[in-house]
Amino acid sequence: MLTAILRRIGLSLLIIFLVAVLVFSATEVLPGDALDVFLTADDLMIMEPEQIEALRREFGLDKPAVARFLQWFSGAVVGDFGVTFIDKTPVSEVIWDPLLNSFLLGLVITLIAIPIALAIGSTTGYFRGRKPDTIVSSLAIIGYSIPDFVIGTLLIMAFAVWIPLFPALIFVFADAPALELLKVSLLPTVTVIIGHVAHLSRLLRAGFIEAMNCEFVERARLSGIPEKRIVFRHALPASVIPSLNSMALFIAGLLNGLIVIEKVFGYPGLGLQLIEAVDKREVHVVQAIAFIGAVLVICMNLLADLSIIILDPRVRSHKHE
Amino acid sequence: MSEKSMHAILTHSPGTAIGVTLVAIHLISALFAPLFIPYGPTELAGPSLLAPGSPGFPLGTDIIGRDYLTRLVMGGRTSIFVAMLGALVAVIIGGFIGVSAAYIGGLFDDVIMRLVDTKLSIPGILFVALCVVGFGRSIPVLTVVIAINYMPGALRIIRSQALTQVPLDYVKSSRLRGESKLSVIVRELCPNVLEVVVVEFAIRTSSAILSVSALSFLGLGISPPTPDWGLMVYEGIRQIYFAPWLVLLPAFLISTLVIGLNFATDGLANALGLDAARGLD
Repeated sequence: MLTAILRRIGLSLLIIFLVAVLVFSATEVLPGDALDVFLTADDLMIMEPEQIEALRREFGLDKPAVARFLQWFSGAVVGDFGVTFIDKTPVSEVIWDPLLNSFLLGLVITLIAIPIALAIGSTTGYFRGRKPDTIVSSLAIIGYSIPDFVIGTLLIMAFAVWIPLFPALIFVFADAPALELLKVSLLPTVTVIIGHVAHLSRLLRAGFIEAMNCEFVERARLSGIPEKRIVFRHALPASVIPSLNSMALFIAGLLNGLIVIEKVFGYPGLGLQLIEAVDKREVHVVQAIAFIGAVLVICMNLLADLSIIILDPRVRSHKHE
Repeated sequence: MSEKSMHAILTHSPGTAIGVTLVAIHLISALFAPLFIPYGPTELAGPSLLAPGSPGFPLGTDIIGRDYLTRLVMGGRTSIFVAMLGALVAVIIGGFIGVSAAYIGGLFDDVIMRLVDTKLSIPGILFVALCVVGFGRSIPVLTVVIAINYMPGALRIIRSQALTQVPLDYVKSSRLRGESKLSVIVRELCPNVLEVVVVEFAIRTSSAILSVSALSFLGLGISPPTPDWGLMVYEGIRQIYFAPWLVLLPAFLISTLVIGLNFATDGLANALGLDAARGLD
């Protein structure tokens, strides 16, 4: 078991490194360098070659790509992503408040979405193939087929334009206290939850059906354990384990959803920061956000895998793939 | 696919029939719309923000005076094209690599799977944002990015399907017959994972359409003045108080397209005994 855990941690570290290579090279493989992204054609026309050379040295672009990557990576692992092009603020400073805000929104969404999805998933799984399942499963397909930005926009129309209960756009500063942010985030939260509950409940439904088909459930039935107890004490906990495998998926999907919804509502989080950085061609900020997002996915995935190793007796004794 | 199984798919559930119908309507209108539109999709054809029902403009005009009906019927074409081409490239290349990895195994398989894990760790929109900063905004870049984005997930699913085939006798006997590795992969294994590849293509197309429209909404996908539903929702938000249809109509079209695709895919997967409802990576 210990070797399995160590192996899994080693693998995650390797993947973090590979992600760093990918994130760094995505903006490096083009002919030219970060300077071409930063300077417009007009800038290049009027600037002297010496000036451009000086800038290049200032950004460290005169060094070979491998040296720059190692420098960037050694900074990135301790949270130092360099400075912005425009006003030389440290990137970590630019993204810190938005990061916390997005984390807050993501946490609230997860805490609400998981119990709802668990309830829907196990109920539909229990009645699989029958009317309640067919209806709810169809609704789930509809739920995750409608784009997040459409759900968000419809909610704005309904509850900000026609029945003006909420502000259509959030005007809160990035460093506002958590409570103030939560007060204005009801609509964004609901938006992301609709799509994610739909997806998650389908996953959990599959896990629940799998668990109910297991031998231990059959055995429990034969030994006369009441159905209610079988569902809640035996099948439900077992049904969660296969969906832990999809943890990376869930977190990545949540991050995607957050980015879209922050743009729809103007919520001051990492997604809004990302779009702004793309528009301003702030390569370092985009790299930092992509790297942080990926590391988050890798860590949550590791956590899920480790809990599978620890919780599931079937995996504990086998070599984990 | 025989007629009987086609019939079985269509009548599997009412959802499937509705899905196939929706997709058919969307595809037909996307294919033939250019034959019937009275104006160019980017042509400034009339005054700004005409109400629906104005003479010559059945759905009115948008903020800068382009015919809204024209833009609406043309607004799905680019994203459907990008999504289908991207998904097709993803399942073909991803499928081939996946089957090869399953058959060859060993270090090759390990390296491929670690690369898959790496790509799957980066949330799609973040990956696209990186590429947009690095390569700029254009339809070819977007198509390639969509293909790369959906390749690892498709690769993983097709590889695990191929793994169930590798130990079977027909693969063994073809190897003993002296067929080359490439020949076993292409002629023996690939045809036997085709059903999974088809379902993967369907699932990933509908997901790619969602992605492309979300990216266009964010300003990372299809850029103006090309008509696109995601972009039109974004452009319409500013007129939400007095011209809500500018948002509602493209929102309705993109939603019905993806709902149709997902119901049709679900039916197809069920008929083939596969699961389309698992999470999508």
